[in-house]
Formats: sequence, C-alpha cells, structure tokens
Amino acid sequence: MRRKVMVGVLSCLLLAGCVPTHIIDDILIVEAEGYDYIGHNKVIGTVTMPNFVQSGNQGGQGAGLPSTASLIRSLSVQTYNGKSLVDRLQSEGQVAIQAGKIRLMLFNLPMAKHGLSIQMSFRNRDPDVPRDLTLAVVDGSCKKLLKATDYQTQIPVSRYAQDMIMQNNTQNYPDSDLSSFLYAYFGAYMDPFMPIIQKNGDHLEMRGLALFNHDKLAMRIPDSKVFVFKMLYQNFTLGVYDLEYRPGRHIALRNVKTSVNYKVRHGNSASPDIYTTIHVIGQVRQAYPGSVSKVKTPQVARIMEKGLASDARQLVRKIQKKGIDPLQIGDKVRSFTYHFDGKSWPERYRHARFHCKVSVIIQQTGITD
Amino acid sequence: MFWKKRRLKKTDPQTPAKSIVDLLKQLKVNPDFTHFHHKGPHFSCWVSFMQTLVDVDYVHRDVFPYLYSNQVHCLSDVQTILPFEEIIRTKELSVIQSKLLEGFIVIQESENKPDCLIIPSIKVQGRQVEQTEIETSILGSHEGFVESIDTNINLIRKRLPIPQFQIKELRVGKISRTRVCVLFVDGIANKENLNTVVQRISDLEVVSLIDATMLALHIGDNNHSLFPQFIDTERPDRVAGALYEGKVAVLVDGSPNALIMPSTIVEFFAAFDDYFLVWPIATAYRLLRLFAVAFSIVSSSLYVAVLTYHYQLVPKDLMGALIVSRSSVPYDPVIEVLLLEIMIELLREAGARLPTKVGQTMGIVGGIVIGTASVQAGVASNILLIIIAMSALAAFITPNYRMATTIRFIRFPFILFAEVLGLLGIALCFMLFVCHLIKLTSLGRPYIEPIYPLRVTDMQDAYIRLPFNFQNRRPQFLRTGDADRTNPQRAREKVGKQSPDIDE
Repeated sequence: MRRKVMVGVLSCLLLAGCVPTHIIDDILIVEAEGYDYIGHNKVIGTVTMPNFVQSGNQGGQGAGLPSTASLIRSLSVQTYNGKSLVDRLQSEGQVAIQAGKIRLMLFNLPMAKHGLSIQMSFRNRDPDVPRDLTLAVVDGSCKKLLKATDYQTQIPVSRYAQDMIMQNNTQNYPDSDLSSFLYAYFGAYMDPFMPIIQKNGDHLEMRGLALFNHDKLAMRIPDSKVFVFKMLYQNFTLGVYDLEYRPGRHIALRNVKTSVNYKVRHGNSASPDIYTTIHVIGQVRQAYPGSVSKVKTPQVARIMEKGLASDARQLVRKIQKKGIDPLQIGDKVRSFTYHFDGKSWPERYRHARFHCKVSVIIQQTGITD
Repeated sequence: MFWKKRRLKKTDPQTPAKSIVDLLKQLKVNPDFTHFHHKGPHFSCWVSFMQTLVDVDYVHRDVFPYLYSNQVHCLSDVQTILPFEEIIRTKELSVIQSKLLEGFIVIQESENKPDCLIIPSIKVQGRQVEQTEIETSILGSHEGFVESIDTNINLIRKRLPIPQFQIKELRVGKISRTRVCVLFVDGIANKENLNTVVQRISDLEVVSLIDATMLALHIGDNNHSLFPQFIDTERPDRVAGALYEGKVAVLVDGSPNALIMPSTIVEFFAAFDDYFLVWPIATAYRLLRLFAVAFSIVSSSLYVAVLTYHYQLVPKDLMGALIVSRSSVPYDPVIEVLLLEIMIELLREAGARLPTKVGQTMGIVGGIVIGTASVQAGVASNILLIIIAMSALAAFITPNYRMATTIRFIRFPFILFAEVLGLLGIALCFMLFVCHLIKLTSLGRPYIEPIYPLRVTDMQDAYIRLPFNFQNRRPQFLRTGDADRTNPQRAREKVGKQSPDIDE
C-alpha cells in the first residue's frame, strides 16, 4: 500500500514537467483567422493576436518592465486550402501560437464561392477551437480587414468585428456561430448561412446574409431583408422592420415579440403545402407624419401584415429557385410527415407551395399617440 | 559523542513518600510550605499547609481561633467544633499528600504520626468571567469560560438547573493529575458516546495536560487528520445548547475551552449567533460562509490552473486585465501564488503573536506596503492580490479558529496539484480530501454526517437553519436517549385552528 502511494506521488512529481503548459501571458492567443482565396486551391491566411499591454506597468512608476509589451499582432501566409494556420505560422511565432480562443473566422467572397468543405472538415476535427466562434463572409479582402490599422476603435479588430456581429444577432440578424453552422452544414434537408461584413473606410458594417448551398455561396440577402429571414427562421425580439408602404413614405416597426409556427400538409406529395403563421407584436418606431395615429393603428397593422407577407413569399420563392434551404423547411416537412420521402425532396422542394399568414399587433406608437 | 552522554541520574518524581515524615521533609524544601507547631494552653498540634494555595485570611479568621478554644483537648474535639461541612480525618498518606497540594490545611497531633485532620481552605485565584475573546458574539450571552474549572461548571450549571445534568470527574496526567470533567445530561446523551469519552480520557497515558484542545488532539479519532474532530468553544451557552441536544462536553482545569463531542463538519461552520437570527437570515449567512470556504480553498489554485493550462476558460473581457497585470511578473503563476500566500501566512502569524498595538502596525505594513509595493515592483499581479486577499478574508469567516487554520492550510496541496495537473489536479486533490472526510469519524460517528450517510432530517440544521418549530427532533446523528425535543402533537394542539381576527 505504502509503495503504491509512493509510486503515485513520485510519478506525479517527476512527470509534472511533462505536461505542456500554456501560461496565459507567454502565448500568442489567436483571436481571428481570415482566408482569402487566390485560385488554384491556394489561400492567403491571416491570423491576428490581440496585444493588451500598451505601455509600462500600470502604477509601476517605471518599475516592472512588461515582458509582453510588444508581441507581434498579426501574421499572414500563403498556403494551400485547408492548412491549419496556427501550425503553419508556428515557425513565425514569437512565442507559442495557440488557437484555443479563436472567436472569429472570416472568408472572402471567392473563398465562399469556391466552397468551405475543406475548412469545415478541419474545424470540425480540431478540438482546440471553441464551438461558439463567429463565422462571417467578408465582402473584400480578409487580410486587409484584419491588418488594417485605420479603425476608429482601439479595440483589436477581431473583437470589434465579433462584437458587431454578436450585437446584430440579438437584433435583426439570425443567430449564427460555428456550432449552428456545422449543424446546418451536416444536417439533412438544411443549408447553412453566415453574415456578410465589409470594411467601409474606418469602420466595419453588416452587409446582409450569405446563404450557402451545402458549402458554396449560393445567394445573398441584403441587409434590409434580413428581418424577414429571421422572422421566418426563429422567434425573436427587438428587430426593426422598415416598410416603404408608398414611395418615399416609411413606417418602421420594432418587434417586441415575433413567433413563427410551421404546419405542413401533403408532405410526401409532389408539391407539399407549407403553412406559416407569424405573430408580430411591435411598436412603431418611426412613421411618416400623419400616417399613424390611435385610430389608424389597425390600418397600419394591415399594411404591415401585407408587406411582411409579400416579402416573406418573395424570399422563400427566391431560395426555392436556388434549391437551397437555409430556413430548414425540409426538416420541418420531414418532422410533419410519416414515412417522409427524403430522396425526392430536393426536387419536390422547388415545387412546394408556401402559404404565409402574418398577424401584426401594434401595441404602441410612441409618445404622441 | 554527544549521544553517548550519560543521562542525568534518573529521579523518579513518582517516588512516593514512605511516611508522613518523609512527605513533610520533601515539602519543607519549598519556601511556600508552612509547617509549625501550635502550642496552646489546652491543646497543641502541628499545622501544615501550602501558603500559596491556602486562603490565609480565612485560616486566621475561621480556623485558628478554634484551636485556642478551651473546649479543645484532642483532634476529635477540633473536628466537632470546627464549623465546616467537610473535614476529613485520615491516616492515608496519598490523601494527605494530594489534599495538601490542593490547598487544604493538615493538622496533626504529633509530627510523626499520620493521624490528621484535613480542612478545606482553598484559595481560588484567577480571571474574572469576562467577555469571550475568540468567539465574540453580538447577540446573546457575553460570558466566556475562564481557567478555573469550578467557575466553568458553575457557568454551565446555571444554564442547566436539572438533576439529570451530571458530571464525571477524572484525573489525567501521570504527574499533573489534572482535573477533567465530562459533562452530560443523563437520559438524553447517548451512553455509548459517554462511555467512549470516559474510556478514552481515562486510558490516556500522558505526563501532563495543559489545555482542552490538547486533550482533543489526544483523544481524537484520527490524530493525523487536518480536520479538527471536536468543537472547542469558550462559550458556556454553546456548551449548554450542545448538552441539551444530547452531546457530551469535556472541561479541563486550567483551560478556558470546552470540548463538544461528537461533532460533524457542518457544525464548525455554524456560529452560535445563527440561532439568534430569524431563519432566512441565519440560512443566508450559513450559505455565505459555505461559499466563502469553498472560494477560499479553491480560488488561488483555480488561478494557477487556469493561467497555466486552461487559458480557454478566461472570459474575453477578463483576458486583457489578467494579461496586463501579469505581464511584468517574471514568475510562473504557481510561484507567484505561493509567494503571496506565504506572505499572507507570515503576516497572519506575525500579527497573531504580537501584542495588539504592534499587530495593527503589522496589518498596515502587510496590507498596504507589501501588497501594493509587490504589485508595483512587478513581483505579483494585481488580480492575484485581490484573489489572495479575498481568500484570506474568506478563510477567517469560519467561526472556529482550528477549522480556519485547516481551511487555510489545505489550500497549499490544492495549489500544488493545480500546478501539476491543472483543473484535473484540483479535482484529484478534492477527491482525496473527500475520501479522507468520508472515512473520518468523531467518537466513532461519521464526520460528514448529514451529507454522507445522508440524513435528511439532520439537514434542517446544517447548511440551512429551518425555523425552530421545524426542529423539534434532536439530531439523528447523536442517537440520543430521547429523540424528541418537544412533543409536536401537543404543540400543534396548543396553536389550534386559525381564526380570523375580526368578527364579520
């Protein structure tokens, strides 16, 4: 017994040095990766590492020279598609580069059009990276976006971009992270999507949604129609929908609550019927003078209902034409149908009849009722 | 060589005096031993006593006048005429010796004859009953135990005015023969517990017994365990509460602490003041204490583990703060943590041993000068300083001092395990301690009782304190002679049905 304990204790002590350590200030923590496709299965990969220490030790009055003051901030390299950037760039790392806190992965448009299957296979295999990292397509060059130094903010661009996407996800944009992307990517009868961002001068901005056909970019939804997409995709709050009910006349609605409900009939027929019921409870944020009042509220709600329903129908028709299913309608049909015929679904999807019923309740129209 | 040095010639302190003459001769060496021949007109005798143990005023006033009385002609006359309830007439040498050294007066007719009278005249000297020092209380009684066992028993007996409250007196120590009293309420206290305590104390082979906590270490179930197995308290009200609950208490002469046994681990985190607060507040404070202890044990080791191995766990907004504060620290996290932990331990030890006024200076020097200076010099990081200070503070929230030292000490194995294996190491170390606690007993009763073995009824006074009307049964753990505190049925009948205040 005593010998066993001794062996345990000794092996603990003697093998202690064999466990690799990642001391927090002695590693380069990659926060963002960007992939620019340059043709022939080659990419330019860029990684950025935040640099926290700007000057000497706070309150140190010159004492205690920070040892991590001037770590490198970004690296980029040309390599083949699917190479782990952290491994590839390790030879250029000042200290060990670690991928455990990546929070942003960017792909430029050519990359997205070329297809992300190799990238996703690698990401799905890598145990280091977190599942809640944010994915985005960049309209422009990822390298330029990540390496630019002319942003207004002092916060590292990786954090800036992620913060921007995350806060939009709580409003108009649907939830998207690596885990939900991979779910839709690997799941049957569904396709993934991710937001599009763009560097515009000294700031970043959201440019709508990129819808994928399996791993390739198939179509884009402009920023103004993202509300409709999210409304059909999930229940949410605090989005803003702007309706131009007559040329030059706008009404904007902030939804306090939106709930969506799908029902399917004739799921195995050549043209299944998909019934969507959407309830929107909202408040009027802005309105053309005289267009909204207490008396006119029901009328405005009707206009809203019509606008939302036609937008929804248009959107679904578009994605049906492209043969992609980011709204996961196929999955809903499957769940409503006994002995669902999955093989013929892609063909039947194009002919599915989409019925949309929107009911809008306007709860409040602002201070001047 | 020095180990071959001849030992001092053995002098056995146990050498019993063969006769009264020997005894007197042995004692005469002491300057405070008084031994004189009283020669009266009717009666003459030898009086001997220890001047320092005897109340001299009392002897002069109440004993000597009777020796001069003309009614006295022999020792039996003295015995009848002296107005004392307890006068021993004996020839037993051992009795004479022990009584002499307790502060009795010995009167002999002739110096060489062992036949003598022993008259009690003990001088009680010691501290007045004062405020408690360690377990200070805000509400409730402020009396604390003192060093005299009789005063202590008096303090407890005041709170238990029943004949069932019994005391067993034992003598411990080969030389010291220290008085040890085992206190219990007959009919409530478990006989087995009582017998275990008495047996363990009477079987003790020690030279002397200085303090109650020392006794606790001697008679504990596991003397190597870091965890104290008996509660020591300096509050008579706490002892009285425990006795009513069915526990056994032990008092040692010369020690201002009582031991309460058996105890479970949760009792160490319950302050007696909890019973004076309304139950939601008392429960909140108990939970606060529990979390503080958990925080105190694992916070610094978590810091080591996360910063050394698991940078992924750091929230993004904390990342900057951690890296900036650590950027100028030249050491690994574990060295940094050990440095500050040891510094805090040094400060505490220095502060505890120094007089109050110097102790305050130590606090200032430690807290302000060393703390901030070490950060500015780049030896420790700001965040760690906060963590260490918080965990030190949290360790002292434990009401029991011995448990607080344990809590502070077991941080170190956690830190070492965290350095070796990260979070896995912390889990491993925690597992070791849990295994140890499961095996540990207090008077043969399981030490972590309400948790393992699970006793749901005892949970009502563990982490949470339910209102008193829920606690009408004594702890199952104690296996008391009488399980019910009150008769719940009668209590319910007395409350009766609720009726509206207002007639409608």
